[in-house]
Amino acid sequence: MLTISLTHYVVLSALLFSIGLFGVLTKRNAVAVLICIELMLNAVNINLVAFSKYITPLDFTGQIFSIFVITVAAAEVGVGLAIIIAIYRNRLTVDLDNFDWLKW
Amino acid sequence: MDFPILLTILLAPIAAALILVFVPKEENLTIRSVAAAGTFVSLALSLYAYFTYDQSVGGLQFAMQIPWIQDLGVTFFLAADGISLPMLLLTNLIGFSAVFASWNINSRPREFFILLLLLIAGVMGTFIAHDLFIFLLFYEVVVIPIYIMVVIWGSSKRVTKEYAGMKLTIYLLIGSAFLLVGVIALFVKTSAMSGVPDMSFTGMAVVARQLSGFDQIWLFGLMLLGFGSLISMWPFHSWSPDGYAGAPTAVSMIHAGVLKKIGGYGLVKIAVFMLPAGAAFWAPYMAVLGVAGVAYAAMGALAQKDLKYVVGYSSVSHMGYVILAVACLNVIGLNGAVANMFAHGVMAALFFSMIGFIYEKTHTRWIPDMGGLARQTPRLAVGFMMAAMASLGLPGLISFIPEFTIFIGAFDVYGGLAVVGIAGIIITALYVLRAGANTLFGPPRPEYNHLKDIRGPEMVPLIVLGTVLVVGGLLPSLLFDMINSGVVPLHAAISDALQLGGKF
Amino acid sequence: MTPFDFSIPINPSALTLEMLVAALGLGILILGIISPKGARSGLGWVSFLGLMGIIGVAITMWGQSGELLAGMYLLDNYALFWKITFMVAAALVILGNMRYVDKVGNQAEYYSLTIFATLGMMVMASAGDLMTLYLGLELMTIAFVILVCLRKTDNKSVEAGMKYILLAGMSSAVLLYGLSLLYGLTGSVIMLDISRIIAMQPVSPALVLALVMIIAGLGFKISAVPFHMWSPDVYEGAPTPVTSFLSMGSKAASFAIILRLFITALPGVWENWAMVIAILAGITIIIGNLVAMPQTNIKRLLAYSSIAQAGYIMVGMVTASEAGIKGVMFYAFLYVFATAGAFTVAAYFYNVTGSDELKDYAGLSQRSPLMAAVMLVALLSMAGIPPLAGFVGKFYLFKTIVDGYLWLVFIGLIMSMVSVYYYLRVALVMYRDEPKDPSPINVSGPVTVTLILTMLVTLIIGIYPGPLSEVVNSAAHSFFLH
Repeated sequence: MLTISLTHYVVLSALLFSIGLFGVLTKRNAVAVLICIELMLNAVNINLVAFSKYITPLDFTGQIFSIFVITVAAAEVGVGLAIIIAIYRNRLTVDLDNFDWLKW
Repeated sequence: MDFPILLTILLAPIAAALILVFVPKEENLTIRSVAAAGTFVSLALSLYAYFTYDQSVGGLQFAMQIPWIQDLGVTFFLAADGISLPMLLLTNLIGFSAVFASWNINSRPREFFILLLLLIAGVMGTFIAHDLFIFLLFYEVVVIPIYIMVVIWGSSKRVTKEYAGMKLTIYLLIGSAFLLVGVIALFVKTSAMSGVPDMSFTGMAVVARQLSGFDQIWLFGLMLLGFGSLISMWPFHSWSPDGYAGAPTAVSMIHAGVLKKIGGYGLVKIAVFMLPAGAAFWAPYMAVLGVAGVAYAAMGALAQKDLKYVVGYSSVSHMGYVILAVACLNVIGLNGAVANMFAHGVMAALFFSMIGFIYEKTHTRWIPDMGGLARQTPRLAVGFMMAAMASLGLPGLISFIPEFTIFIGAFDVYGGLAVVGIAGIIITALYVLRAGANTLFGPPRPEYNHLKDIRGPEMVPLIVLGTVLVVGGLLPSLLFDMINSGVVPLHAAISDALQLGGKF
Repeated sequence: MTPFDFSIPINPSALTLEMLVAALGLGILILGIISPKGARSGLGWVSFLGLMGIIGVAITMWGQSGELLAGMYLLDNYALFWKITFMVAAALVILGNMRYVDKVGNQAEYYSLTIFATLGMMVMASAGDLMTLYLGLELMTIAFVILVCLRKTDNKSVEAGMKYILLAGMSSAVLLYGLSLLYGLTGSVIMLDISRIIAMQPVSPALVLALVMIIAGLGFKISAVPFHMWSPDVYEGAPTPVTSFLSMGSKAASFAIILRLFITALPGVWENWAMVIAILAGITIIIGNLVAMPQTNIKRLLAYSSIAQAGYIMVGMVTASEAGIKGVMFYAFLYVFATAGAFTVAAYFYNVTGSDELKDYAGLSQRSPLMAAVMLVALLSMAGIPPLAGFVGKFYLFKTIVDGYLWLVFIGLIMSMVSVYYYLRVALVMYRDEPKDPSPINVSGPVTVTLILTMLVTLIIGIYPGPLSEVVNSAAHSFFLH
């Protein structure tokens, strides 16, 4: 029978991270990019929790770290969405290709 | 503590510059007077120092030492010896004259004189600093004021002044980047060897002379690049004619007169003094480059029709002699090198100030356009010809003995090369006389009949520098005894290393 | 010992500085709400004086040492020096730009966020474990994101804010992934423990991956090439005072944490990262300086120049030695003053003329000799021309790598002389050209003070670096005492 080991978690997390990174680099919609960043952060969370479970089962360092990550990510998304709304009001678009006031 | 004479000499122009910041910018006469006063104080004090220096004792005198940066072993160490005093005096002679040569600057005079005073102070600092770090602080101070002065008050005749200024600046800075690498590496190596960081010339030299031959060679090579580009050693000279042509008179005077000499001074007092084995390795190459510079630049001068370019190339050519002389690494050669720097400084400054006046009055520097200015402006012509005669080494003027000394020193060591160098004198005579003849003694041109000869404050450069030209020529011992008292101990310190290392 | 052993009592006085700064930030926020609109411009003075007071407290704490929570929070002269640097930077930015902020409005938000960003930096300076590091970093970053789009009706500003948060978010995620791997490999988040455990392990591919991700993530924060793409855009779009704080504070704080992470936690694998850092430093210096040359907007020019400056500072990391740390701290401190000077001029100039374009600086030396002089001194200090502070800073940095990385010394010094080319272009415009509008610019009192202060400090450190050098020595020395 297949047992779920640390490797599985790490591979899952690596996949999730790669998907997120790919999305950040290719998506042209600001909201989608933000979502992809979330994917990357969640990959980190999976890592942290898995390591905590398998490597330091006696303390909760990893879990606590991941709670911090979740909290901070929430703040980051809050600010990010606020900015996206502000820019939508000004420009009526959230497509990154249109944001060319500054040279990218 | 004694009266800090060197510090006062150094700070007088800076103080004058600070005063100028608060002088209203319309007060033209006040501005000039303050500048003149500042440089006069320095000049008077450096004359005093020159003549009270005790040659029988020799070594470093008027020293003051303040611990500065502990962990780098830096002390604020000002001192003068027989090599630095002539250079200090030269700086002040030229600085003082430069203020008067710029008497007629009318656009933004306050800024001009502030920058000029800072420039003079910076140059003086390099000659009296006896600590490598402090030396470096002053070494590059001068570059930025010069740039600003060139782009504001310079002239765009053959090349634009922006081009000239930037070329000069970048050339010198890149050169100094190599020098800096050398100095930093030297510092790291010496402090690792002795365990105690010490950046004073003497302290560092004692350790540096024990560095391995290979280290000495590459470190000396870096310093040669840095100082060589400053002294316009061929093939790093091309900033010099363009730079002088673009620069305002005072800057040309100071640059050709003393700034270049920092390169030669640094070669002697830092590179050769600290890294004799490296010097022994590089000496033949330096000699070749020096002679190449003499010949190349003399030919270049021959082809020029712009007065400033003639003098610009001629100064490259004269510096070739200095490099050849340093490369001899013997007492006669080093004496000749330092003396020639002094002589050429006075002569070049006089030359440039006269050309500055000619340009101011005729609005041209183009030799064929001048005709016979000797009839119209006789005093100007006297100054011009004095500089010209000194340039070709007329006996009785200041540069005859130094050049003669160099040939003696160089003939000993480099035989054939020295002969080629001497041949350069002939070309020098050719272009200098030609320039003089076509500018001053041709058929007078009617459009210059109304020209006013130099007078009043404008006479100061001619009187000050002309006197030195003649006195230095008639009483060479005034200069040579002093220099000798500095060179002999320096040579004694390195001669052991030279014999040990030998020629590779 | 686990980090969450709460049986060890925490000495709250160890966190005095952080608590004071947090209180100041909150206080400003509350004052902003309760004070009438007209009085809000006074908030700048409150924040400035508050910060000065806290700097005073910080100076009295010099010499403190210790750790909280089993090494999660480190207190030493190293951290204290950085904290003072950050607060000085914040104070300079606040003092020099009050009028600019009054023009933008939202004073309460601006000042309190500046102070919260400072708080984030201070946490970073003391961080002894990966969590504290992350929290400090994000506190700083999020505060900065809001600051960047403070002029929320200005498209450029908001756009810069969006670029900043997306790229900062991505880089944080990359960094975090690296940190999580590090945690997985060692089973600890505390740097001192990590260093012990790593020393016993062979270098695994996962560790290399972690290193790469950490370098990439933090490379973003210091805008090292090739992770620098965001910074010119953000610098140009952000309000100038924010740009100024971003380029000195955020960069300095990132260096503070990079040194901790690499030299406290990862000295065991020094061979694996030293060369990478050296190469990155070389590329950063070259690219930053070369791309700065054609810039025509003063803020973009300063942005690229600050990229190059980051390259110089990275040089100090290469040897992972006390001398290198000293070089980094020394340079960061003087860089704060040079940057504050240059950006204060830029911000004030924008206030008066509404332009950041280099060509509009024509004749500045005649319109305001002080502004032109400060700009020149600041730029030349960045170029490392003696007798300005930058020269001594570079001397300290480059002397550490003469043995073994001589090529980098050549690159660094030659490029810094090349950089004079574009710095002098600014001088050319300011000094040679005649102004289009010859009316003199009257510099207001606080700005004059800021300008003169930055110029004097830059000159004094350059001429007489002894005292600062000793302070930094003691700070760098304390780094290794844990």
